[in-house]
Amino acid sequence: MASRKAPKTAHERFRRLLVMLPWIMERGEVPVAEVAERFGMSEEAVIADLERASMCGLPPFEPGDLIDLYIDDGVVYTGPPKFFTRPLRLTAPEGFALLVAGRTALQLPGADPEGPLARGLSKLADRLGAAGLEVQMARPGFADPVAAAVEERAELQIGYWSAGREVLSERVIDPLAVFTDRGYWYVLADDHLSGEERTFRIDRIESVERTGGSFAGRDVTPPTGTSWFSDADLPRVTLRISPSARWITERYPIDSVTPVDPAAPRDLADIVLPVASEAWLARLLVRAGTGVEVVEPAEWRDLARSTADRVLRRYSSAG
Amino acid sequence: MADPVERMTNVLTLLLETRVPLTLVEIADRLAGQYPDAETARRTAFERDKAVLRSEGVPIEQVVLTGRQAGQTGYWVDRERYELGDFGLTDEERNALQLAVATVQLGTDWGEQAIWKLGGGLGAGRRDLEASLPSSPSLPVLFQAVSDRAIAAFGYRGRKRALEPYSLLAQNGLWYLVGRDREHDEVRVYRVDRIEGTVDAGEPGAFERPVDFDARALVPADFKGRGFGEGEAEAEWASVWVSDVRAGGVVRELGDGAVEERRDDGSVVVRVPCSNPLAFRHWMLELLDEAEILGPSSVRAVFVAYLGELVGGR
Repeated sequence: MASRKAPKTAHERFRRLLVMLPWIMERGEVPVAEVAERFGMSEEAVIADLERASMCGLPPFEPGDLIDLYIDDGVVYTGPPKFFTRPLRLTAPEGFALLVAGRTALQLPGADPEGPLARGLSKLADRLGAAGLEVQMARPGFADPVAAAVEERAELQIGYWSAGREVLSERVIDPLAVFTDRGYWYVLADDHLSGEERTFRIDRIESVERTGGSFAGRDVTPPTGTSWFSDADLPRVTLRISPSARWITERYPIDSVTPVDPAAPRDLADIVLPVASEAWLARLLVRAGTGVEVVEPAEWRDLARSTADRVLRRYSSAG
Repeated sequence: MADPVERMTNVLTLLLETRVPLTLVEIADRLAGQYPDAETARRTAFERDKAVLRSEGVPIEQVVLTGRQAGQTGYWVDRERYELGDFGLTDEERNALQLAVATVQLGTDWGEQAIWKLGGGLGAGRRDLEASLPSSPSLPVLFQAVSDRAIAAFGYRGRKRALEPYSLLAQNGLWYLVGRDREHDEVRVYRVDRIEGTVDAGEPGAFERPVDFDARALVPADFKGRGFGEGEAEAEWASVWVSDVRAGGVVRELGDGAVEERRDDGSVVVRVPCSNPLAFRHWMLELLDEAEILGPSSVRAVFVAYLGELVGGR
């Protein structure tokens, strides 16, 4: 769901007022509580902003020159609409967000390519000049059956490759939500094996079968952004990275970046990042190659070498 | 001095209703007491209001006046350009868009603001399906440049680029900008998250977008290809053995068509594109010792040398 931050600065309050006024005027009479709910504000803030607006208008600011609205007994009433009867046109960011959200939603499991969303989007696209904007979201094969199970509250048995522990496990889950973030797809589920709520990467699911059982749904909030895997409980590693390994900072959630030499911030830097598991770190280190070095903890200083050695052994024995 | 929200509302009303362009002096006169009297402070306050209004998308027109007020700038807002047009959306279509905005996270409130303008509200969306896309302040500017056919200028890998932007493409969680680089006169792909600093857009209508331009053909459909950036994928392939433990996932990722051999122990040999050495190496290392490059021998040798350096190099 979109953020519903209450407007704070004058700029934000003004912006909210410009969408509120036409909406209220179109209706003529609306309870304050409904305005507050719809626009994510407290009733007090709605009253304060609308009362202020009712003193605005055209010089010389006689009663007939003002935005005609008043609040009585918890209801906003408007007179014949004079000013701000239509909303302001969409800004570039607004038009962009609308098109991107719509086109992304059209590629989620279960979307109807000819339904009302697609029709609404094509009306917008003509007017907003959307010819050069495209969204492509490939999804793993199991995303659709898992999403269908979420919707139908069907219990699933899955084979799951746990990259952290390097094992394939069979487990029963109650799938609660499917979400995608930065190109990866996940299912948030109650995991019978651990008895906890867990997030599984769908591309690591090896098999999916319905058990025939079902479960009572419950409201969950899928984690979004990068915050969700930067768990405070995870151990941390400090890495010294050279420019060739800078991509690590773009791809993973990191706690901090500190240039080794403040005068040359693009050269060597020490970064601190959460470690999902030793196996995860091992992969990261062998990928980054000689561009990265473990500063601490000491027990991981040899991890890249030992991992590379393990992979290399396959080549010497087989080849 | 008046409350800034009140003053901005009044300025906007005045500029919308006026029939002739108004100078700053006239605006301040009519809004007596709302702007400071001292000229510099008044100018500063007005410029700030004007900037806020423009950032909200208010099309403030301006003209340098002649005659009695020669040399002064006059301002007004054209109501036609100010007001939201009628998109002709049905309630059902608007609700579908509203649901889409609630489902797709961009990390900004732009979509919510748009829905409000369209007369919708954001009730509870579905909480069991959600998508997140990265966002950045550059994206709307780039989108506008693409739709206006305006030259986009930005820094990338330490150099200034001037691009005829043809397409803005979100692919598997990353944003790409595709267009003709003016200096090199060739079509190139840029990752938006690697653009340095802000993007400047030039005048609209500066170029023609090729008919049937397809950005997707240029941005490699990456298999875990976070290492793909620019660069053309030439057809080059490696044969890779994958253990039974990882075979299922790899075959699903690459498709059945990539399987060259299925062995009795459940392991497979697959054909994998390796034109982009970095992306290929990253892909191999995701599998660690559950995979082995069988050939070509040159590709195998490069991989072994890379590992050898890691083992011996420290």
